[in-house]
Order: sequence, then structure tokens, then C-alpha cells
Amino acid sequence: MKYISFLLVLAITITLAVLISRPIGPVPPVAPLIDPNHGFWQNMYSEDELIEEELSLPDLSNPVTVVYDENLIPHIFAANKKDLYMAQGYITAKHRLWQMEFQTRAAAGRLSEIVGDIALDLDRMTRRKGLGYGAELGMEFLEKNDPETLEYLKSYAAGVNQYISQLSPGQTPVEYKILNYRPEEWTPYKSLLLLKYMSDMLVGDRDLEYTNLRKILGAQMLDKLYPDLPNEPDPVIEAGKVWDFDAIPVTKPDSINYPDETWKMDPLPQPVEGIGSNNWAVAPSKTKNGNPILANDPHLGLNLPSLWYSLQLTTPEYSVKGASLPGALGIISGFNQNIAWGVTNATKDARDWYKITFQSEDRKAYKYGDEWRPTTFRVEEIKIKGQEAFLDTVVYTHYGPVVYDKNFRGDRQDVNFALKWTVHMGSNEQKTFLLLNEAKDHKDYNIALDNFTAPAQNFVFASKSGDIAMRIQGKFALKWPEQGKFLMDGSDPKMEWQTYIPNDQNPQTLNPERGFVASANQHPVDSNYPYYVFDNSYEHYRNRRINGRLRQMDQITIDDMKALQFDDYYQQASEILPTMLSLLGDAFKENDKAQEYLSQLKEWDFYADPNQKAPTLYYIWWNDLYGQIWKKWDEFGVPVVKPNSYQTIQFLLNEPEAKIFDVENTSEVETAKDHVQKSFQMMLDEMGKWEEENGDYAWANYKNTTIQHLVPQFKAFSVSHVYTGGGAGIVNATSGRHGASWRMVVELGDKPTAFGVYPGGQSGNPGSKYYKNFIPVWAEGKYLNFNLREESEAEGVLFQTTLK
Amino acid sequence: MKFIALTILSVLVVVFVNPFTPFWIVMICIGMISALLGAKGFSSFLAGGLGMGLAWLGQTVFISYQTGSPLPDQMAEIMGLGSGVFLSMITGILGFLLGGFSAYSGSLFRRLFKKRPDNLYRG
Repeated sequence: MKYISFLLVLAITITLAVLISRPIGPVPPVAPLIDPNHGFWQNMYSEDELIEEELSLPDLSNPVTVVYDENLIPHIFAANKKDLYMAQGYITAKHRLWQMEFQTRAAAGRLSEIVGDIALDLDRMTRRKGLGYGAELGMEFLEKNDPETLEYLKSYAAGVNQYISQLSPGQTPVEYKILNYRPEEWTPYKSLLLLKYMSDMLVGDRDLEYTNLRKILGAQMLDKLYPDLPNEPDPVIEAGKVWDFDAIPVTKPDSINYPDETWKMDPLPQPVEGIGSNNWAVAPSKTKNGNPILANDPHLGLNLPSLWYSLQLTTPEYSVKGASLPGALGIISGFNQNIAWGVTNATKDARDWYKITFQSEDRKAYKYGDEWRPTTFRVEEIKIKGQEAFLDTVVYTHYGPVVYDKNFRGDRQDVNFALKWTVHMGSNEQKTFLLLNEAKDHKDYNIALDNFTAPAQNFVFASKSGDIAMRIQGKFALKWPEQGKFLMDGSDPKMEWQTYIPNDQNPQTLNPERGFVASANQHPVDSNYPYYVFDNSYEHYRNRRINGRLRQMDQITIDDMKALQFDDYYQQASEILPTMLSLLGDAFKENDKAQEYLSQLKEWDFYADPNQKAPTLYYIWWNDLYGQIWKKWDEFGVPVVKPNSYQTIQFLLNEPEAKIFDVENTSEVETAKDHVQKSFQMMLDEMGKWEEENGDYAWANYKNTTIQHLVPQFKAFSVSHVYTGGGAGIVNATSGRHGASWRMVVELGDKPTAFGVYPGGQSGNPGSKYYKNFIPVWAEGKYLNFNLREESEAEGVLFQTTLK
Repeated sequence: MKFIALTILSVLVVVFVNPFTPFWIVMICIGMISALLGAKGFSSFLAGGLGMGLAWLGQTVFISYQTGSPLPDQMAEIMGLGSGVFLSMITGILGFLLGGFSAYSGSLFRRLFKKRPDNLYRG
């Protein structure tokens, strides 16, 4: 009897212990999660409650000091660059390990390993686009051409790995505990992958949609609705700039056979509207103190942990500070004692598609001119949590990977399109940032930029010596007019990119007469530039607002530049709303609610401040109007891209009776007025519903700026309803999910005076008080002190750690 | 007396051993202590349970008080379990079950080797 009762109770005890150690379906093992000594309870400690005065990093050649300021921004003081990057790896991992790992797994198409087959389609897409392939080529490039950078990447990886090897179960980031997996080894490859991932985030193309439109509308209508350059462009490089080089001739082939039918594939995801950035620099002649001032605010998805991680990196030779990308070396947007720089996206149709004609079913060869060229096969093994691995075979041509084929997104057997993209060319973006970090003047800046291929960026620059500059850098194919705007026939060698624009012929300017340089993702140049420039996504509003303000301003101070970054002026509304109101006329005279809204719209000063109601009304009305005008485009049944807001507004302003406003299958002839009235009624209906459900429709309430955890399902780790103004197309580009992911203003006097902020916090741990403590500062348009620190400075030190 | 001793020793094991070892080592320790002390049946269950349960509960309350972190409420929301206080209670209850069954197993293990008294009259 006593044996039976012992065995019974022992069995219950063991079963209980096993049960809570194992995952049950999607539920992670309970015990390691809620054991107060190892589980999430341990993640409640903030970094300043876990101070370690000394940490072991045995590979360092000399001890490294890390001083944290009161915002948990580390200032790393190292004897040489190798130690510096090793410490950067270690410290970044300490605060952002899960994020670094998660982002690179996403970039590698490995999310299914963590979350199961729900991510399979996404992983296949990532891999078929060849991000991993691009990073492999990047590694090969470094091995052949730049052992120094590779050495630093290895140091950084060693730092990360040292941290991982010391990681206690209690301090393991809580996301690992919830999702039940472990960090794995970091490698230089992953750092490169991360930079490729940035390309993917920032680059789009509309070749498929334009091909369809060309077939449906005809070339002439296409040019009218989608002009390559607006009538009065305000480009990145000042209009009227004289280009003093001899352009390389390029001739358009006499006969071009585009794959001339409409295509019904599901296009690749595009960068979301609202992804973009601002940067500018003003010359000493325009500032109060006679020093150049530089500003940068990249607009990206607003996420937690933040995409950016701030730090200062110091060696005896230089000291650089600003925003880094966890996983990449050095500072990406920042300044040192001598210069400051910043980036905005400068996309220029960097992706082209070639239709591939295979010789036979086995896809071992494809037609190219008169020959058949062999393909290569790359088998992607996608591991899936709780299931067998998925094998995806991707065919590679000399253009690049065949992304669309019978196995992926093509419902037709003959759909085969290869992707040509600068991301697939061995390149060394990392080097650009390493060199910028220690650059001293404009010459150094130019040398640094020569290494940069993709994603093309507008690099703004200012130096202590008083120079300001802007250079649009990327590897740009030298294209004949309209090359790559449409899908091309890959069997015709005439369709190839023939050569690239030399770096010194990329658009650039140094100390222009107007006293400032600025970019906001608009057209890079005016029509004087000798090469063909095309992209679907150029900005038309922020650029004109910024340039307009900078032209007017004089005696500029740092505070003026901060105010401009936080400028809520809704340029688009200011240009079209008066016309919308006049086209609406008296149509809603009898409707009290309509009159209330209309009086708010009429009294509006066009600032999209958080407490204003009119921006909400305008935003909804405009979107309904835009939707109404181009609704007929939806009926084509194939993917197309609609004319952009700017062109639409030009038609509304200049040709309200134009034929494009007519809806063809109705008996009447519609004009802009009909659409304006109809969309106003739609706005009334929507607003009625919204007010009933949500009440106050002040702009901040309506747009609901949300800073979302990288795993959207972890809503509790996100921050929603951030009270802040701005919106897409506004200089303060803070919309619902996108906006200024980092704001920096630097004045380059004898010592740089710098301010910065980002919507997040230094810690990646949701349980830490440093996880989101910058958000209220950011939301109000305030900044943190970002001045360079000396190692000995005692003021404002949170704590200090020695690595050795 | 044995009851109180087992409770206190279980608490001490959680506080001093648990930070360095997984929970199942703690369970084994409590089982061994229970066997060594010779705590009796159900009272050993209660003593071990109270020891580990109170210690776990106490640790969650202590960390919450010390840090003021919002994490328990956030975790409760993600897990669909109400509030952080509720999570503390669940942690305590789980600790109680683990400690209790461990101690009970230990107690019954000792009984296996206990000789029956042979001077009793058994009719």
C-alpha cells in the first residue's frame, strides 16, 4: 500500500513538473516563464537596478569604459577601433539583443522558425527577392576587397556573442520567453543582412502596374497622368544647377518590344506611403551664430523596440555620436567633432523586372539573344516551428532571381519574371558609415560615400569649417528614357542595363548660393541633369514647405530648426481645400452638421496640430474624393497604380471639367464638382459613425499614432494614442504608424551642440523604465541633449561600466 | 514543529537555491528535506506547498514593489489572464502545488523505509 501511494504521488509530482516545462500548442512552457527567479518577473528590473561595474570581454586589447548618461545612452571609450566595435556589439546586444536577432531573422526569411507556418509566405517572399543572396555577395565582396571592414564586423560579432554566452535565464529578453526560443550566434553576415533589409524597406517599384496602365491607357495618357517631372519641381539639388561633366551617351533602342499584355500577378509589397525622411543643412551665412546647422529626421515605421539605438563612440582619434541601427556598426545618422551628416531615402527605380523565356519545363536554360543561357538553382530550406521544413526552389538568371513563377504568385504557367536590383550587387555600405564616423571634411565625406550602393540616399553634410553639401549616392543604372519603367523582355539583350552613372556624376552640390541644402524624398534634379530619372514615389509637399521656409529664414538658430522639424503645416490641404470648398458650393446648406464641419474647415489655419478638428475632416474628405475620382481604376481587374495626390490636385485646380473626371458607364458627364459633392456626403456619413463610436475627432484622436511592438500581437508592449500632430506629406510626418523615427539637430561650432530624440527608449526590455521614456519628449517636439561627452565628465552620469 | 521547519526550509531553498537553478532542482531539494525531516503525510504537503508558494508569491510582490514595472499587467494582457495581481497569485498557486507535491513525495518516500513497530500487539 505504501509503495502504491508513494509511486502515485511521485507520478503526480513528476507529471506536474514535466507539464509545466513543455510547450502546449502555442502556449510556451509555463515554469520558465513565471518562475520568479528566471521568468518574466526578472525582466522587471531596469538597467540602473542591475548595475555591473565590471564585465568580462576577454578579447579586448585594452579595457573599455562605458559611461551611461541619465537617458541610458552609452558613451563608449576605447583605445582603438577594433575594441570600439567589439564593445558596441556587446553593449547593443545587452539592450537590444532580441530585436537585432528578430530583424535579421526576418531579413533572412526565417520567421517561420519562430512563429510557425503563419510566416511561411512572408519568408518565401523575402528569400525569393534574394536578400540573403545579396548579403552573401556582400560577404564575398568584403573578403576580396576590404579585410579591414570584415575584421571590424568580426569584432562586433564577437562582442555580441560574448554577451549571449553570458546571458542568464533571468535576463534573457522576455520575447524569447514568450515565443520560446533562444538567441543564436551572431555573425558578420547578419550585419550585412540587416543593411540589405533596410534596402528592402525603402525601395519599391511599379513596373508591373505601369505595364498594365500603358496597355490600358496608352502611352500618351500615361504621360499626362504620370509625368516624370512636375511642372514646377523643387528638387533635392537646387534647380538650375549647371552640370559640368560630359555625360556618357546612351541611346534608346529603335524598336522596343515590351511584354505587351496586362498582367495579373500579386505585386511585391511596396514601401508604405509615409516612409520617407527630411534632412537639410544651412550655411553659416544664414545662421545667427555663424555656424552651419544640420538637421535630419528619417520617417519609418514607428516600432518598439525602436529601430534606432543612440550611442557615442570614442577612440583617441575621434568621437562620434548619434543614432545607430542595432546590428550594424558605427553611427548611421550623427556627427563628430568636425562634421555632421544625415540621410533620407533617394529611391530611383532601383528594381527592374525581366520576363524570362525558359527553354523547357525543367527551367535549366533561358533565352538571351540568339543563345540559351544556363540557369542556376538555389534551394531555400525554410524551417517551420512544429512542422517539416519547406523547400523552395528559386531559379537564378544573370539578371537575378526569378521571383514570380509557377510556384509563387503566378496563376499562369508562363509567368516568369526575374528581378534585377542593386541589392544583388556585391557592395560595402558598412564602409560608408565607418568612414563617415571619423570623417573630418567634405573630401572625407565624398570618399566615404563612394562605397555606397543601395538603398540610394540623399546624404546631407555640414562641417565645422563652414561647408554644407548634399549628394545623392547609390549605384544608379544609366538608363535610356523609360528603361525599366515597364516590365522588360529578358531575352532581348538591348533591354539590359548597360552601365552605371559614375559616382562623380551623381547629383551633388557644395555650398550652393541659396545658403542651404535640403532633401525630402522629392525628385533629385530638374530637367537639366543629363540622365534619365524616374520613380513613382517622389514627394511633392514636404520638400516645397521645407525649401520655402528655409528660403525665408535668416539668423537661424537651433530652436528654429527644431521647430521646422516639428512643423505641422498641411501644405496639401492649403493648396486644394479652398477649391474643394468652392466646388462644393451651397450643396449642403440645409444640413446643420455639414455647416458645423464646413465652418471648422473654413476657419482652419492649415496646421495639423493634435487638438485641431479640421485636419480630420479634410483628411477623410480628401481620401474619399481621391477614391471617388479614381474608383474606375479598380475595375481594370489587374494591379495598377493610381495617379498621385499631387497630379490629381493639379487636375482639380486647373481642369475641373476634364474628361478624366467622367465616370464612363453613367448617363451624365461627371466633373470634379460631382466628385467633391459626393465625397463630402461620404465624409458626413463616416464622421457621423466615427463620432458616435469614438466621440472627439481631434486630429490626434483620429489618426491614433501608434508605436507598435515588432510583434504586433503583443499589444501590451505597444503604445497607442500618442498625442502628437503632423501627418503624411507634412514636415512633421507623424501619421498613424509612420513618422519621424529619429530627430537630430546639430550646430557645428567650436564644439558641436547637438540634440536628438526618437520615439522609444534605449532599452529593448518592455519591463524597463527606459523602454519608452522618450515617447512623451518626442511627442511634444522636445529633444534630449546629445552633446559629446568626455570620459571624465561627472555630471548626469547614470552609471559606469568597465569592460575588460 | 516539523511543519514549521519544513515551511521555513522550503522558503530558504527558494530564496537561496532557486536563483541559480531551475525550479525542478528546488522541487528535489524540498522533497529531500521533507524526507529527512520526516514530516507526516498531508501536513508535509501543506508545509512544502506553503513554503514554495509563499516564497514565489513573496518574490513577485517584492520585485513589483521594488521596480514598479508595468510588466506583470502587460504579460497578463498578452496571456489573456486579467491583471498582474492575478499573475502573482497564479505564480503562488503553482509554487504551492510544486512545493506541496515535492514534500509529499519526500514524506512518502521516507515511509517506505520506516520499519513497522514490532512491539505492538496485533491480536
